[in-house]
Amino acid sequence: MMYPEPTNIWESIEYSSLGIAIAESTWAFPTLETLHVIGLVTVLGTIFVMDLRLIGAASKNTAVTRMAKDTLPWTWGAFVLAAITGTLLFISKASSYMINPYFLVKMSLMAIAGLNMLYFHFVTWKNVAVWDNAGVMPSGAKFAGYSSLFFWIVIVFCGRAIGFTLGIYY
Amino acid sequence: MGDLLYNMTDWMRGTFLLDWAFWMQETGFSLFMVENFWNVPIAQAIHILSIAAAFGATLMLVLRINGRAGAGLSMEQVSARYVPWIKWGLLVIIISGLTMIFAEPVRNMINAVFWIKMVVLVLMVLVSLKYVGSVRARAQSSGLTWQATGSAKSTGWFIILLWCLIMVCGRWIAYVPV
Repeated sequence: MMYPEPTNIWESIEYSSLGIAIAESTWAFPTLETLHVIGLVTVLGTIFVMDLRLIGAASKNTAVTRMAKDTLPWTWGAFVLAAITGTLLFISKASSYMINPYFLVKMSLMAIAGLNMLYFHFVTWKNVAVWDNAGVMPSGAKFAGYSSLFFWIVIVFCGRAIGFTLGIYY
Repeated sequence: MGDLLYNMTDWMRGTFLLDWAFWMQETGFSLFMVENFWNVPIAQAIHILSIAAAFGATLMLVLRINGRAGAGLSMEQVSARYVPWIKWGLLVIIISGLTMIFAEPVRNMINAVFWIKMVVLVLMVLVSLKYVGSVRARAQSSGLTWQATGSAKSTGWFIILLWCLIMVCGRWIAYVPV
């Protein structure tokens, strides 16, 4: 099959041999989506556990540092899986994704959720020893937990919205 | 595999499932689900979020039984934290799933992968109920020195595997030839 000459970087990505291979395969896209779902529910599920601890809604008998140790390896491992499969899905239809507002909002919110996590890790976390076992969390930790929950819930909605709107913008 | 699934689906077309699907399609609720563009994506987002909550809680419970998380917490404490999230999560999964079935009755009811998913879901719930009950009982009778047996540890991973299989089916409902 012939593809048009790419006119921008996103079309170049889409019409790369990898992009075409994923787009033309009958099983590649659904298989990648399946792995993406398994990865993202693991990311979300473990983030929820940590966030609920941070806002003081659950696991008050577990130290915050302990909870981070228990969940973070799974959050990151699953995030790598979701990011790799997500990138491969993106490659196969790059130009459609780049003009989809829900995709752009999703990527922006993931960047903001990342900044929220960095701020928590490098600033709020500094005196974690003081509130590690506390039932009532300091406002910095609560803010990190509530905002993370909010961002990830909206990210999931955007992710699902992409599937329903991909190709209607051009 | 594709042929087998297709033949199963083809057989379903001749059963009462088709009448059921048509009946569902005629309900006011089905109409409500399809007449607003956002109803189905919102139902799917709720479905995914509740899967994350219940699956994440299951994972933490299985990790505790395997000695890879929740150090210092008894099985009772860990169950009290995560079992309600699994149960309520499953309830939201089922309710949001039902709304999605009503939105597209024929695509779901006449679909081999959908029914495989339902069978694995029921199996997962039954195995989980029996599993959590027996592990808690054994942990309680052994006291503080309790260590899960090898089979209890691997049954936990088997439940995680069943969850993953359900998710695989969930995604492939949309792609299987019907």
